[in-house]
Amino acid sequence: MLTRRIFLRGSAVVMAGAGIAPSWLARAAANTNGRKKVLVALFQRGAADGLNIVVPFGDKSYKDLRPTIAIAEPGSQNSAIDLDGYFGLHPQLQPLKDLWDRKQLAIVEATGSPDSSRSHFDAQDFMESGTASRSIGDGWLNRALAPATPETSPLRALSIGSQLPRTLRGDRAAIAVANGQNFGVGNPDAARLLEKMYARTADARLETTGKDAFAAMKMVQSISNAQYTPANNAQYGPGGDLGRSLQQIARFIKADVGVEAAFADIGGWDHHGNEPGQLFGLLTQYSNAIKAFSLDLGDRLDDVVLVTMSEFGRTAKENGDSGTDHGHGSVMMVVGGSVAGGRVYGKWPGLASEQLFEGRDLAATTDYRDVLGELVSRHLGQKDLSRVFPGYSVGPALGLLT
Amino acid sequence: MKWFALALATAGILCASNPPKPRKTLAKPPAPATKLTKDEQIVHVLNRLTFGPRPGDEEEVRRMGIDRWIDLQLHPDRIPENPILADKLKPFETVRLTPAEILKGYPLIAPGMMIRFTPLNEILKQDQVNKLYNGTVEERKGIIDGLDPETRKKVLTSVAPQMLAVVPELKKEAEDARKAQQEERMAAMKKMNPPLNELLTEQAQRDIALRGKPAQVAELLSQFDETKRRQLASAIPRQQLGGLPEYRRMGIAQRQPQEVVMSDLRESKVLRAVYSSRQLEEVLVDFWYNHFNVFEGKQSVRPLLASYERDAIRPNVLGHFKDLLLATARHPAVLYYLDNWESIAPGAFDIGPFAPPVEQMARQLAQRARGLNENYGREIMELHTLGVDGGYTQQDVVNVARCFTGWTIAKPATDPQYVFAAFMHDYGAKTILGHIIPAGGGETDGLQAIDILAHHPSTARFISKELAQRFVADNPPQTLIDRMAQTFLKTDGDIRAVLSTMFSSPEFYSDGAYQTKVKSPLEMVASAARATGAEALDGFMLAQRIADLGEPLYGKLEPTGYPNTGEAWLNSAGLFARINFASALTNGALQGVNVDPTRLDGKDSTAIARQLLGHDPSAETREVIGNPASGKPQPSKAIAALVIGSPDFQKR
Repeated sequence: MLTRRIFLRGSAVVMAGAGIAPSWLARAAANTNGRKKVLVALFQRGAADGLNIVVPFGDKSYKDLRPTIAIAEPGSQNSAIDLDGYFGLHPQLQPLKDLWDRKQLAIVEATGSPDSSRSHFDAQDFMESGTASRSIGDGWLNRALAPATPETSPLRALSIGSQLPRTLRGDRAAIAVANGQNFGVGNPDAARLLEKMYARTADARLETTGKDAFAAMKMVQSISNAQYTPANNAQYGPGGDLGRSLQQIARFIKADVGVEAAFADIGGWDHHGNEPGQLFGLLTQYSNAIKAFSLDLGDRLDDVVLVTMSEFGRTAKENGDSGTDHGHGSVMMVVGGSVAGGRVYGKWPGLASEQLFEGRDLAATTDYRDVLGELVSRHLGQKDLSRVFPGYSVGPALGLLT
Repeated sequence: MKWFALALATAGILCASNPPKPRKTLAKPPAPATKLTKDEQIVHVLNRLTFGPRPGDEEEVRRMGIDRWIDLQLHPDRIPENPILADKLKPFETVRLTPAEILKGYPLIAPGMMIRFTPLNEILKQDQVNKLYNGTVEERKGIIDGLDPETRKKVLTSVAPQMLAVVPELKKEAEDARKAQQEERMAAMKKMNPPLNELLTEQAQRDIALRGKPAQVAELLSQFDETKRRQLASAIPRQQLGGLPEYRRMGIAQRQPQEVVMSDLRESKVLRAVYSSRQLEEVLVDFWYNHFNVFEGKQSVRPLLASYERDAIRPNVLGHFKDLLLATARHPAVLYYLDNWESIAPGAFDIGPFAPPVEQMARQLAQRARGLNENYGREIMELHTLGVDGGYTQQDVVNVARCFTGWTIAKPATDPQYVFAAFMHDYGAKTILGHIIPAGGGETDGLQAIDILAHHPSTARFISKELAQRFVADNPPQTLIDRMAQTFLKTDGDIRAVLSTMFSSPEFYSDGAYQTKVKSPLEMVASAARATGAEALDGFMLAQRIADLGEPLYGKLEPTGYPNTGEAWLNSAGLFARINFASALTNGALQGVNVDPTRLDGKDSTAIARQLLGHDPSAETREVIGNPASGKPQPSKAIAALVIGSPDFQKR
């Protein structure tokens, strides 16, 4: 009830003033259980180096492959944070250790796609499409949503950024919010006049579309303009741009406007050179943003699952520039209140030279679609996985959710 | 207009057996007896046969007479083309090239950008490769040592690491060679495409590059030599090069030459929509491309698209449907997109020593092809001819696919052309929709299938319905569809004749058709450019906005193509994109697209609306633009933005 009141206080005035309360909102507000399950996809663009993010210090080959950039095994200065005696977290991921201990963070090792193009553009496209080697027009997360009904919120699927990512493109309405405060029509005077025109037009379809659009706009703007203090003293600052994105998503979730799917991305992971320096900065942002997000959500975290992914991993062996090149298998993280956390899932293929993919990369023993498929089906409740991942038969669940 | 609406409603009550339906719900088409005024008819034909009226178009139609004007549009060869158009299309060279020329001049990756992974059997002879992989350690060493240093390096970088595991001395050499190759690549890439701040050392220059107007940017670039201009064109954000198509193409070609092909296609299409005098022909090219859709994102199809639209679609848009169908069925773009090129008769794998010589790739393809591919067999019936309810069975799908086995592509990597490969063909007898095709046919099986499908009554109905949806109403009256289908069958599928039936029908000129369709993104953007008399220095920004509105050109993944009905475009994002485009266009914020602000000076809000819409605005629009909240009269630019963003302008 508290969250509804906050929302109504913020935006009802604006909406009441215009004399328009969208029908879906009236019905949703009447529906006492407005809490929806939310799946948040976080894409690390650039091919994140799973091996230095979740460190397999227990694997004998790890140190030999990376004489200068390997993360030291737990026990010394700047060493990996021990998780289970075999794997550890990069030291800058310290903020996530709490989530691990509270069993709200699960790690899936050696994930990837059958695609071996090692091309950023293609591999990102395929992964967002939810395929292995084709770019299709829409995305897996859009297809994971059920068909819209009159009660469906216009904000059910949102992405932070100016372009709607392929992950969220498709039949279900999704919006891209770059700057919540001037989302929609930039000029407020024009917005008012246009809204009036669309509200009064004789064309029923345009009237409905206009009503939904301007309702979404007012909602987004009022949520973004309202004073907001993150709960539980969550600090998004050190999370940088990603922190800002996740904060926006948290605000929309907590406003109970029916968000079901959200997307954010963080670029910069393509470190062919100076990997230790680059990862330091990236992982600081990454961990602080996710930590703040989980704190801010409070008990809503039970309804939310955040999953991370990257188009492929990086070479097992370091290159001559203290960096790594395009690889294959990587790591995915799953965060949420209903996650069976505190465990590393997946089958570790090993880093001995005969165990490497094409002799150079971490092999991928779990298809990324098995991870996403389990979350889509058991968290969002979308059972028709062949529609979400066409041409692929999702494997048995790993047990990522409680 | 109110009295007229009343008169129409009265007429409706008198003529129809049902009371007139309220305008808001458009579930059923109203009685065709309701006719439009002459003015409405003129606006209507302009909205439906063109991409939107330009200032002066209405007068021209009135002068000529509607029927004569329509007849002229139905015969585009009698219309002299707009001389401005040829100039604007000049930079987009690839739309005039053959697939072979495109493959040669616009490779997938810029030369020097990436070294292609060379398979070993292109460097060594097959027996050498065999020894390298399966021979003893001595044999393997022998092969490597026997190579000259250049080839040795190539082989070591290309060979699989497993092979080197047994010859550890070579392992380090291979690693060094690979590392060296990688360093070379990165250095070459950086040299080819340095970042902007390395190319322009002065802040003033960078300011122009990042924020200047097109003329300023062009002047800056002209100061440098060719190589540096190319590098700058690549480093400057594409947005900044709006209005400078040559430079923009140069920049794209520096990194991904083949992407130039797509930008040329899209920009040409937009410019034609805005400037061509043969408007109906352009509308039909759009319609038929969507009907026989090919998605540009499917791996190797891009070099084929210019030819597809130019050689298979355009010449046949007003001809006989069977010719259009055959042209698409034979074009490599369709053969590839719908997988027919790799559809092979079961049991045809063993091509043996007597097979005709085929390109290596086709041979490899034949070896890996799994058998019959039903994709084209299904889509040619479901989407191209009969329609999903056209009365075909799964067995028909299989048999049609069998007919087309052997319809494949020769020289796909260098000079893709249609070829009939007999060794891939299923020569057995087939029955399609009750017609028996005897065994032993060959290429003629496919021709017979096309003949049967093109003449099937379901095809006449399906094509007529699609045309009626595009040109008349989202839910066209069955009476009209039936009449058009009759014409189709009587004239052997003459598209011009079918259109003529449609354009002279009472349904076309009825209340149920007038202003009832929602413009597609292409239609909305093109009509806005036409209505404002905008001068587009190139099509880039407009094509981008069309994509933002939801219709990336050539970008519809599914073979269904973009829909002819409006619901696909009606969502929040699309609506805001239209409204924001309207604002950007009228404010001159689209780089390279100029709207003359003085055109609307001295006109009141209703007059501005009337000019941009081509007809009187609706009461609600007129009231809103005439009564701004502030009480002060709004500048004409702002009114224009409101009109183009209004519900009125989204309809046609």
